[in-house]
Amino acid sequence: MVDLTNIDFDQLFGFGDDSNPLMMLIWILPIILFIFYGQRIQLQVTSGEIKKGIKKLDLYRTEARKELIEYVKTSMNPKEDPTKRLDRFLDYFTIMPVDMDPNGIVDKVRHTVRAREDFSRNHVKSLSPSTNEIELSKITTLLEIATSLHMIYKIINHMYLTAKKQNNYPLILPLQMILPFIMEEAEAISKAIPAFKLGQPVGDGIGPMVVGKMMVDTKKETVAFQTVVGEKEYDERKLFLLKAEGPGSSVGRPGDAVEKIVSKNKPDIIIMVDAALKMEGEDSAITAQGFGAAIGGIGTERFVIEDIATKNDIPIFAIVIKQSIKEAINLMTKDIANQADNVRSQVYEMIHENTKPGQSILLIGVGNTIGVSQ
Amino acid sequence: MFSKEKITIAYTIEKCPSCSFEKKRNFKEGDYLFANTIKCNSCEGTMQIEKIFGESIED
Repeated sequence: MVDLTNIDFDQLFGFGDDSNPLMMLIWILPIILFIFYGQRIQLQVTSGEIKKGIKKLDLYRTEARKELIEYVKTSMNPKEDPTKRLDRFLDYFTIMPVDMDPNGIVDKVRHTVRAREDFSRNHVKSLSPSTNEIELSKITTLLEIATSLHMIYKIINHMYLTAKKQNNYPLILPLQMILPFIMEEAEAISKAIPAFKLGQPVGDGIGPMVVGKMMVDTKKETVAFQTVVGEKEYDERKLFLLKAEGPGSSVGRPGDAVEKIVSKNKPDIIIMVDAALKMEGEDSAITAQGFGAAIGGIGTERFVIEDIATKNDIPIFAIVIKQSIKEAINLMTKDIANQADNVRSQVYEMIHENTKPGQSILLIGVGNTIGVSQ
Repeated sequence: MFSKEKITIAYTIEKCPSCSFEKKRNFKEGDYLFANTIKCNSCEGTMQIEKIFGESIED
């Protein structure tokens, strides 16, 4: 019988003897292996994680496409099967203007983006011309969601396959670093679909929600594409209340609207209410006040508002409601909805502090107005 | 150890602008903020949708 309780490990592995060949092999082999194949091993390990992420991204884009097609079929009732045309929309791309000479770049970007928006809207409408504007705005947004997820998948998959093809570990590193952020965004976009289908307000709609309630009893006028303005007297001051036209899914064109309003009735101050991305560690639904144009997007609307305000010497004040990317594009949370009254009182306080009786104020509720009327 | 899936339920809050009577119910398709809904139970006013939000519960 072998006595397993009496094994001398020092003797077996030659720990006490530097010249033991078995011991040398145990130490040297992995070193050689890692010198020559270290990057490939790391590439394999990292690839596994990235592959899982890509599989999820593929699932998100497939589900978004399926939901879009089903929604179009049920809500628009088109004569022909829309699948082929919708699939073509998913692959549309936008080539941004050359920025080597930045002079006039904002107008060029705005033109390109609006041309794409108009094209999408017209082509979606052509599937069933009798579709109402609210349904059309929802479908256009769902199309944007499906296109974004499709594009994210394609780009990440391309980066991954390139690194794998070249067996190049450093090439996969940036992908490994950005993937968690991309996954967070893709998940948020994917989960936004039900809210847009049902026409529910999203976190980003807190700006329109604050201003929309103030507009309820006013006479509304369309001032720019999908953008409405209402006038109201408040404590001997004149309020111009501006938001995207709800309850469809739209952010309107606040830049064009501000241009028109300022040219007719120069307001003394502009107040913008918008959702803002919270920093990690910050609580959700907290509010903050500041200066400058509070408006996201690609920057063209902000440029126009800043330009008009500067030329006319109008100060811009901002109130933001902090939230995560997921909260911003998903059904509004209770905490965010509960801030609406607080923000409204902050607006009135801001008006009192910064204007005198007889002056006028332009109040803009910035954000997607899905589920928020006026 | 296993994280529980969270389910979000959408609610609609209706409020009477005249008497401030509030009512919470499940969200119905077609609801949108500031839409006039039904007659108020406590006065003759018309209820208005004041809030629509989601509350998460663990499955």
